[in-house]
Amino acid sequence: MLRFSLIAVFIAGLCCGVVLHAQQETIYMSVLNSRRHRLGAVDNPTVGLFISTDRGATWRHRGWEYIRAFYAEAGLDGAIWSACGNGVLRSTDGGTTWRITTGWHITEVLKVKVHPQDPLAAYAATAYGIFKTTDGGETWREKNRGFQKPFTSDVVIDRAKGSRLLAATEEGVYRSTNGGDRWVLVGAKNKGVRTIAQDPHDGRAFWIGTENDGLFVSRDEGAAWEPAQSFPKHLTVYAIAFDPSVAGVLYVGTHGGGVYRSLDGGTTWKQCSVGLKNLDVHSLVVVPSNPRIVLAGTLNGGLYRSTDGGSRWEFNSQDEGQVWGLSVR
Amino acid sequence: MRNSAVILLTVLLLVPSVEARAQPSFEQRRQRLIEVVAGERDRSFFTVTAKLVTGKDKEFAIQMLDSLTTDQSIGGMFYSYAAIGSYLRLRDQLPDSLKAKMRNSFRERTMYRGDTENHWVMYYTGLYLAAQTWPNEGRSQWYNGKSSDENFREAEEWLNLWFKTSSTIGQGEFDSPTYFITFITPVLTLYEFASDPVMKRRAQMMADLLFADFAVEHLNGNYCGGHSRDYPEDIMNPLSAPAALWAWLYFGEPQFELWQETRYRPRHRGGWETVFGAMSSYRLPEIIYSIATDRSTPYVHTETKRVRNIIRFGLEKNPPVYKYTYMTRHYALGSLQGGILQPIQQHTWDVTFASDKPYNTIFTLHPFYSGKELAMFFPEEQKFLSDEVDRYHKIYTNPNKWNSSSPFEQTFQHKNTILVLYNIDKGITHPHIDGFFPKNLDERSIDPSGWIFCRMGATYVAFYSLRPYEWIEEEINWRWRSFELMNCIVVEVGSSDEEGPFEQFKRNLQARSPALTGGGRNPTIEYTTRSGDHMKFTFNGPRLLNGKPVNFAEYKFFNGPYLHSERKSGVVTMTYKNHVRELDFDKATIKEWQKLQ
Repeated sequence: MLRFSLIAVFIAGLCCGVVLHAQQETIYMSVLNSRRHRLGAVDNPTVGLFISTDRGATWRHRGWEYIRAFYAEAGLDGAIWSACGNGVLRSTDGGTTWRITTGWHITEVLKVKVHPQDPLAAYAATAYGIFKTTDGGETWREKNRGFQKPFTSDVVIDRAKGSRLLAATEEGVYRSTNGGDRWVLVGAKNKGVRTIAQDPHDGRAFWIGTENDGLFVSRDEGAAWEPAQSFPKHLTVYAIAFDPSVAGVLYVGTHGGGVYRSLDGGTTWKQCSVGLKNLDVHSLVVVPSNPRIVLAGTLNGGLYRSTDGGSRWEFNSQDEGQVWGLSVR
Repeated sequence: MRNSAVILLTVLLLVPSVEARAQPSFEQRRQRLIEVVAGERDRSFFTVTAKLVTGKDKEFAIQMLDSLTTDQSIGGMFYSYAAIGSYLRLRDQLPDSLKAKMRNSFRERTMYRGDTENHWVMYYTGLYLAAQTWPNEGRSQWYNGKSSDENFREAEEWLNLWFKTSSTIGQGEFDSPTYFITFITPVLTLYEFASDPVMKRRAQMMADLLFADFAVEHLNGNYCGGHSRDYPEDIMNPLSAPAALWAWLYFGEPQFELWQETRYRPRHRGGWETVFGAMSSYRLPEIIYSIATDRSTPYVHTETKRVRNIIRFGLEKNPPVYKYTYMTRHYALGSLQGGILQPIQQHTWDVTFASDKPYNTIFTLHPFYSGKELAMFFPEEQKFLSDEVDRYHKIYTNPNKWNSSSPFEQTFQHKNTILVLYNIDKGITHPHIDGFFPKNLDERSIDPSGWIFCRMGATYVAFYSLRPYEWIEEEINWRWRSFELMNCIVVEVGSSDEEGPFEQFKRNLQARSPALTGGGRNPTIEYTTRSGDHMKFTFNGPRLLNGKPVNFAEYKFFNGPYLHSERKSGVVTMTYKNHVRELDFDKATIKEWQKLQ
């Protein structure tokens, strides 16, 4: 019954074109590389950070033109943080100018996450562990106590309890309850975890995507984890995104399988890849002001955009580009 | 008192470089190189610099430099050190507008740091010199939002860390005939232009170390034996690698003018970084020149390097690499211990002939690849990495590739004999072993005894496969291929110096038949060399020489007649006859003395 209700709400939203958030958001797209960039072609010769203020319809490049960018997001104060080849970059003028906040100690940064309440605090997930700043990137401290091996590819800050963190590592998912001072392995043991997301409708629920071992979920603040029901167990999961308006609607980006969608909180899944010419989906974002619009960043296939909740996709931009990260504020 | 028989003529740092014997010819060589590069049309900071230093094509060079300055397609790290090197050498003759443009490039353009050791050396050398050149400027004046002082300190700190690491546990991208240039060129640029005398001295010491490391494994222009990474063309044809041009400039070898030999030109034509060496005031210490060129007595040299940073699937970030080289005047036989020591481009062992012929080498490998191997060294996901490398470096997944690391290959070398064990897992994509045999060998014959006998000039090679194999004829080589998952090859190398006639060498080996014993996961090979040494080697097990285990843990940082260093000591001692030169990286001192004869 619940499942039916969720689906009904979702379909109603699609049919009526309900605009649930009036305020226009900014979307940040990080392009790691591009074949056309390599070949010096002219249609998308640049990589790095692109920004859209029209729900992903059009994009403007900001900042460095030849930087391998993994992920970017903005904090409460509007400052943009970017995880890229040179470390963690931060811009306080909308991406016009940037400062590399990190030195040589911090490299191979895959994600940077800004504290939901404190815009000067951020965590960087790197090949050498988690690093934390509390002063806008002026200084960084290593936060690896408890990890067996330091490699981390994602970190999530609990939006309700900012001292609670989850980290994606090659050995599973770790949790810290004291701002990263100590980490404990809590799930997906011996599985390579690549991505973590917190459910916007249920703060106790977290999802993780793994390399080769599918999707896992915790519904108790990251204490216990179980494989997601009926989701293909062998898939590599790169990205997880939620419909911010309708509970239970979530999207998953996979290697080779394109996008999977669940309308019932992860109980059942349907592959939604019609129109995707590249099925390696590394990043996803649902546009808050119109959740029918979903963006999917692929590896070497550029950015795709759906205006019907993922049922059909259309190529958007970044031909043959690697759209490594998407975020929205 | 160190030794009463030793007279210490120790002068901290101030000992002049004394390449008395080679100095005139070095001067000729460096002048020639500058002239040749000045006449080139390649669009690079190196040709521009040579043109402007010699006054050749000045207007064209200025235009080229202008266009290079604004060319965003040159990767940040490659741009950074080369641009500042050109600027510092040429600034007195550049128009103010171009100088301003070059300064501005460090304010506006992307300076990507890269993700390899050589990238960082180039990047931080450029940053160091740029911050030194434009000091006291605020954060808004730099591409990275850091002040001159912040950039200078960061670059200085990392460069000092690199010097320390390289002089204690070794480079990760070690002994590469191609990537050598990406270390020596920025180091010489740093030496030339660093204002801080300590940094200048450390750069000098690092240049000494790089050249000494090369010298001891150098034979007639070839960078011999195993090395971390290289391209197939240079592995098959060692004198085509850029290091050969550096060898010519500093060691005077090979004995011909490299750039006039069309057979060596194709791939690296235009890689004129060497001209920064030719224009440098750095002078190779004579002792290194002697080490590089005196091949009157065969010797064994061992050393320790490190695996490139392992970021996943490993317990240790930089496990040691153990390297063994046997050097004679006619050939070198050299090897790494095997396994995955470097992704994609590893070259584990070879025989290198001293020859004017191209393709002067023989080696084998298992063409392995996997996403997991890549993910050990790169942060992206395994499946993506496999796709990506296949996309841009088709050669990585090619079953016929000539560079590869493999977890299924291990070596055991003793002097001029090497055992290479292969123990390949079932289900591996490329379940075969390949061997490179150049077609231009003077002789190649398959003996009824099972030995394959080869000769190039005065060098003899005997190659024995324990299991069946086949030959595939290719354009420049015969490809020896075995589809046996478990196999071992035995290679004995000799020369007319040691063996007399080739027939005598053959006779010495015909009665010897190696035995492969054991099965399952860990085969064992036993073999008695023609010198009478008994070698017993078990895959993933001990290497026994005359019953005694070879203990890699006892390997020094450098150990041989010419180079010595204890691991992690930071002190490298070069010895040639009665000459001694000691680099102490901790103290940043250079000492030279002569022992009494």
